[in-house]
Amino acid sequence: MISKENRNPSVAAKSVAMKKPESFFAEQPPRKIEMAPAHLHQLTRRDVLLFGAGALAVLAGGGFVLPQVTLWRLGVRRNMDFPGKEWFLNKALCVDDDVAEALYSGNRRVPTYSKSQITPLKNNYNGVPPDPGYIFGWNLTLDGLASGLSISLDIRNLTTRFSMHEQITRLVCVEGWSAIAWWAGLRFDDLLRAYPPMSQAKWARVESSVNLDASGNPDPYFMSLDLATARHPQTLLATHFNGQLLNVDHGAPLRLLVPVKLGLKNVKAVTRITYVAEEPRDYWAERGYSRYDGI
Amino acid sequence: MSHSTTPANQPNSTSTLPHQPHVLVVKRHHLLVRWSHWLNVPILLGLILSGISIYWASPVYQHKPDPNTGNFDVAADIGIWICAHVPGLHHYSSPPDWIYNHMSLGPGMLALALRLHWLCAYLFMLNGMVYVAGLVLGGGWRSLLPRRTDVFDALKMFRYYIGFPFAKLIRREWLHPLFNAKYNALQRVAYFSVPVVGCLSVATGWAIHKPMQLHWLAAIFGGYNAARVWHFWLLWIYILFLVPHLFLVFADGWDTLRSMIVGWSTRVQPPEVIAHDQ
Repeated sequence: MISKENRNPSVAAKSVAMKKPESFFAEQPPRKIEMAPAHLHQLTRRDVLLFGAGALAVLAGGGFVLPQVTLWRLGVRRNMDFPGKEWFLNKALCVDDDVAEALYSGNRRVPTYSKSQITPLKNNYNGVPPDPGYIFGWNLTLDGLASGLSISLDIRNLTTRFSMHEQITRLVCVEGWSAIAWWAGLRFDDLLRAYPPMSQAKWARVESSVNLDASGNPDPYFMSLDLATARHPQTLLATHFNGQLLNVDHGAPLRLLVPVKLGLKNVKAVTRITYVAEEPRDYWAERGYSRYDGI
Repeated sequence: MSHSTTPANQPNSTSTLPHQPHVLVVKRHHLLVRWSHWLNVPILLGLILSGISIYWASPVYQHKPDPNTGNFDVAADIGIWICAHVPGLHHYSSPPDWIYNHMSLGPGMLALALRLHWLCAYLFMLNGMVYVAGLVLGGGWRSLLPRRTDVFDALKMFRYYIGFPFAKLIRREWLHPLFNAKYNALQRVAYFSVPVVGCLSVATGWAIHKPMQLHWLAAIFGGYNAARVWHFWLLWIYILFLVPHLFLVFADGWDTLRSMIVGWSTRVQPPEVIAHDQ
């Protein structure tokens, strides 16, 4: 049978011609289908109408999620700030926070740099820097401990009892800029071991009571930090910046340095840490930013 | 595109055509490809508008603060220039914000812009998967694969498009280069590049979104700051693609547009098959 076919030149030529475009990667000729023009017309009309309806739905949905200011500029004079909008956008933020939490690994160190790679770090206090007077009576208060006590530690206590660690890491701001700086301080993990939080605690509320707003009025800063991140070996309670004691601009005498989080979690001039079971309030989350902020 | 000289000698395909009032059609795009194609319009628009609002918070391109205005943002400079030179804009209330007021959601709304950017970014990634699924299910991916001759042929197509309006002006015959495939080489280069650019946008996006957990990804693009620059310039590739894409689709006519909505095209033969017996 096969030899017979091979002897027939026309069949052989045909099979070669058909095999040629059958490579897996080669474009295959499109299958032609006969269609009554009326049918094609009908399909076209159906899909164009469906497409138009979809486009209108997307236009409405897109308008729904746009900020009110943008809608105002587009000529929409009605208030489109429905509660559902907040809920929907918060859901998107929650998804992203869950992804960030899943990406986090307590064993993964952030990159460290050499001293020659250090870049300037601007003072990004949300308001005006506080009056340095607070530094002299400064204490760090710990609450929500396993002992049930409230502990007050001064800066000598902290720097002499705990071993100091140095690191040159990148601080990344939610705005997009970043700076490589040389920090030194004690590990948050060491503080957690020395003063264990209550057993059901999963979060730390880190706050600074000395923060001021832009016009100089008291504006306490508070921020939520999951204890898994607090235990990261590169999460420091920093006392030194670029080889010198922290100055007021950078959160003297003690600031949180948590390079696996956005800069806004790196609370300056920490005055109180409270361990809690439920996720505590967060200054920037209340202003529309995400709350986990893992990077 | 009608430059057929000799009628096609195709024993297998067209000779069996019965002489009835029927049209021959081919399926050009799989349903999922069409859906994801159109969904890209609102998603990319959302990503670009919110992205430029995010850019406002910390512009990639800065200079020393202007001693008079304190401005350091190059995009604000462009806005100031536009308001100073474009008639009718001389009394614009805040020239430094002109770019952000017209090309983004607006200035000073970082938290809102970030939320929308994450929302659209996740939708963009999902949509990309739908697109790939459509390419695989419909077999359309084969038409996008680059070929060895593409660089030269794409240049020929580019020359054709550039010369076309001039040829029309002087009423000279200007022949469309021949090709024997679903797409010409320039289309193939463009339609293959845009999904690659999409992947790069997603990769650089993750690199600057999670520069600590994914620091290896940021390192691939030259570090955190370089990845931000990449992410910014990749945006312009979409715009570079979109302008001729829109123009050519409308210039090409209804059949091309219909094939992306309905899926069917009545152009059953690639032009070369019409022109050449091969």
